[in-house]
Amino acid sequence: MKSFKYYIFCTVLGLATSCTKVVDLKLNNNAGILVIEGNITNIRGPQYIKLHQNVSFSNTNTYPPVTGATVSVSDDKGNNYDFTEGPAGTYSITAMAGTPGYTYSMKVITNGKIYTANSVMPAQVILDSLTSKASEFSSGKNQRDIVVHYQDPPGVANQYRFVMYINSVQVNGTFAYNDDFIDGRYVNLEVLENDIKIYPGDTAIVEMQCIDKPVYTYWYTLMQQQQNGPGGGVTPSNPPTNITPVALGYFSAHTTQTTTITVK
Amino acid sequence: MSKFLLFILFLFAANQAFSQKKFTISGTIKDEATGEQLIGASVIIKELPKNGTATNSYGFYSLTTQEGDYTLSVTYIGYETLIKQVSLHQNQTINLGLSPKSELKEVVISANKPNNDNVASPQMGEEKLNMSQINNIPVVLGEKDILKTIALLPGVKAAGEGNTGFYVRGGTSDQNLILLDEATVYNASHLFGFFSTFNSDAVKDVTLYKGGMPAAYGGRLSSVLDIKMNEGNNQDYTVQGGLGLISSRIKVEGPIVKDKGSFMISARRTYLDLFFKASSDSTLRGSSIYFYDINAKANYHFDDNNVLYISGYFGKDVLLLKNTFGTNWGNATGTIRFNHIFNNRLFSNTSLVFSNYNYAIQDFESTDFFKATSQITDVNFKEDLQYSMGNNHNLKFGLNILHHTIAPGNITTNATSSFNPVSIEQRFGFENAAYISDDWRVSDKITFLYGLRLSGMFLLGPGTFSTYDAAGDVLTLATYSSGATVKDYFNLEPRFSSSYQLNDQSSIKASYNRNTQNIHLLSNSTSSTPTDLYVMSSNNIKPEIADQVSTGYFRNFNENTIEFSAEVYYKWLQNQIDYKNGAQLLINQDVESQLVYGIGRAYGIELFLKKKYGRFNGWIGYTLSRTEDKFAAINNGNYFPATQDRTHDLSIVGIYQLSKRWTLSSTFIYATGNAVTYPTGKYQIGGLTTFSYSARNSYRLPAANRLDIGATLEGKEHKKYHSSWTFGVYNLYGHWDPYIITFRNSKTVPNTTEAVQTSIFPTPIPSVTWNFKF
Repeated sequence: MKSFKYYIFCTVLGLATSCTKVVDLKLNNNAGILVIEGNITNIRGPQYIKLHQNVSFSNTNTYPPVTGATVSVSDDKGNNYDFTEGPAGTYSITAMAGTPGYTYSMKVITNGKIYTANSVMPAQVILDSLTSKASEFSSGKNQRDIVVHYQDPPGVANQYRFVMYINSVQVNGTFAYNDDFIDGRYVNLEVLENDIKIYPGDTAIVEMQCIDKPVYTYWYTLMQQQQNGPGGGVTPSNPPTNITPVALGYFSAHTTQTTTITVK
Repeated sequence: MSKFLLFILFLFAANQAFSQKKFTISGTIKDEATGEQLIGASVIIKELPKNGTATNSYGFYSLTTQEGDYTLSVTYIGYETLIKQVSLHQNQTINLGLSPKSELKEVVISANKPNNDNVASPQMGEEKLNMSQINNIPVVLGEKDILKTIALLPGVKAAGEGNTGFYVRGGTSDQNLILLDEATVYNASHLFGFFSTFNSDAVKDVTLYKGGMPAAYGGRLSSVLDIKMNEGNNQDYTVQGGLGLISSRIKVEGPIVKDKGSFMISARRTYLDLFFKASSDSTLRGSSIYFYDINAKANYHFDDNNVLYISGYFGKDVLLLKNTFGTNWGNATGTIRFNHIFNNRLFSNTSLVFSNYNYAIQDFESTDFFKATSQITDVNFKEDLQYSMGNNHNLKFGLNILHHTIAPGNITTNATSSFNPVSIEQRFGFENAAYISDDWRVSDKITFLYGLRLSGMFLLGPGTFSTYDAAGDVLTLATYSSGATVKDYFNLEPRFSSSYQLNDQSSIKASYNRNTQNIHLLSNSTSSTPTDLYVMSSNNIKPEIADQVSTGYFRNFNENTIEFSAEVYYKWLQNQIDYKNGAQLLINQDVESQLVYGIGRAYGIELFLKKKYGRFNGWIGYTLSRTEDKFAAINNGNYFPATQDRTHDLSIVGIYQLSKRWTLSSTFIYATGNAVTYPTGKYQIGGLTTFSYSARNSYRLPAANRLDIGATLEGKEHKKYHSSWTFGVYNLYGHWDPYIITFRNSKTVPNTTEAVQTSIFPTPIPSVTWNFKF
């Protein structure tokens, strides 16, 4: 499911990409804001909620962990799970599995404030297979695109997020889709990206997540803000979080399934 | 309203009572060589220098004054002044033909006695462009362009490099009404905005109203760009054209019946794709990128009082990637007009106008197959009347019935496709208006131009119409039958301009006007794409409203050859539209749930110094301005700079005729960068570096500045044909004007981030075009 604007923007970008340079900008700093990234999956194993602070743009990409927080998750069936810290800023519980259809609530107490968020784990949609095909926008160079195949369930709203790794390196890009145009179809979805060039022989790993609507809105907003995202680069802002009071980040209860192929 | 009409009636009565000894001269002013009617030619009685008028869009004028013997003087820039003795003892029709001063160089006129229209007229915020100046101004890749030229005027700002969109006095680009022979042109750009849809060969007259908008125009908040096509030569057949680096153009015109009727056909096409066809790469060979457009017009003069015009425009952009994907988009317009002169005081024009904009996007691959289409179609009936009352009143009144059909989106697919077919309900509506205005010369010093426009918007069924809560979920849903009114809006739009002439050389002017807009472009993209989506005012979207006051000082120097003006404006905007986070606009039945509404304000000062005559001519325009928006959900509900806010905007245009054959030209621009949102921090989410943001639009792109030069070499004179060469260099000193700045992980220093600027034309771009005429 390629976005219409994607095509057009790629063409414009094609005209323009050769003329770029790194510039030095003076940016204001608004650092030290709490970032919460909470995930509950349907796979039994450790579940993680990570807390850190944002840093100013000119810093290195190392983020101070937020330690000493009280973190717990409960579900709407009365189960409560306490998370323990280790390593610093990473809070986890071992051997827990989420159940599709349950609503999970996260509670984080740090620095005297209580942050909460709810997320419903959707029913799982099975990732059928992964394939590769000749890349449309750079044919002749033997480049490949990865295609995800799955059957979208008819009559219900589904939202998906994909995470892709090429030779164990995560592709820099957000891939979030809903089924507005594909409801009930057998879907062949190209994971379009221009971060890592993919060639035959590479190992491609794709994780498929089924996410709820607020989490989809969170990822889709991030995706729109990418220069070649479906918005063609909309005015950026912090994506709408499901955490109250407002913090950076999200809490997502989702199903997950990972498939690996060797690119042909 | 009724008081206003009573007032007009009173003026009528007064006119009848005191006009016994007055007579009227009327007629049409044309170019003698081609039969083209001249728009805005000034007709003056020498003995009564204050008693003058100008020809309307169809070259018609009407002057009423006391009986007597007079000297009539007709002037038009680039033409020989014509003097005619008139013995006015009865109403008379006087049709006149002016001869061009010089066939080659319209601007280089010194013998004409320039008039002081710009000082004397109450009209404010009006800019007229001279086609020969447009032809001389250098532009990128040598493709001369009306929209890029008007962006050099004060108060008008280019949307950015590689974009023909323009912002007038803080308005967004969809707040400009662009008319080609009265037909709305919805998307005025080719090739993602690198070129405009107007082929300047086919254009006769360009007028931009950025304030003080006459009551005859409405439907958009910021400006009207009124473009009139050439009529075609009704004396001789001529062929002219040009071969450029990226495109070629040709124009054929000639008489249908000599002196009675003529036609004009003008076409152009780019030929980048022809190089694809020669490529060894099979994918490239099967791919294509081009645009073309055709302008055609014909007219027939049944007699002096009845003229029929038919004109049309058709343009298309095509982009095709072999076996993969294709898109095309374009405008089509058609206009049928009938001029009728009832008597020498009453002129009427009846128009039937068609306009369409559509785009299609298609994916050819079997697993992804889809075809998405969208279009907007207008049918417009207009009746415009002009009544010269004498007694220093000139009335204009008329009505307008405009029907919109909007098909927001339609997707067709096949069995193997990943996509479902979707059809978004079509929307129907009427935008109707009636107006009246009076140009009243109160005294030698004071002139008023005042009027009223009543606009009525009717959103009609059939269809299902929803209202939404704050979260964007459907609140109510109602189904309407065909023709049922879903929502209507009426707006009264007063328009008022006045001038007080201090002396022959200077005046002060003031104006107030209200404009409303009932058709809105939805786009949350920062780039120019053809996937324009229009919606009408509805049960969710209220009409946009702008109130503008402006005042100005106008001063001419050196016998009216140098014009100076300073205008100050302040604009209040209501019901402005922005988008929710993650808004999905395209092919969305509930698109109106994705919108948020706010207010705006824009103010500024525009300085303009213009030398219209002489071997050296040109202008300097400078604007100091501010444009701000206010939305409850953005920036804590505080005002923030709109994207199109531009603090400083400077344009310098110079054209110099070096010799009989060489003309040199140059433009320089400097503009504050767009207001943009930069990160104020970063964090990690989903394993990736993600940026955090604070206030909206609190940063600026670096200022743009650029120098372009051009030169035209006229070929040696031949009896049978004429040719010329146009040379140009765009961005002479290779400045990196910013197109966009993005942020990413550094490619050179691990574990850090960097800002990257993209520029479209960071190097000098030379161009050459060969023009011919025979």
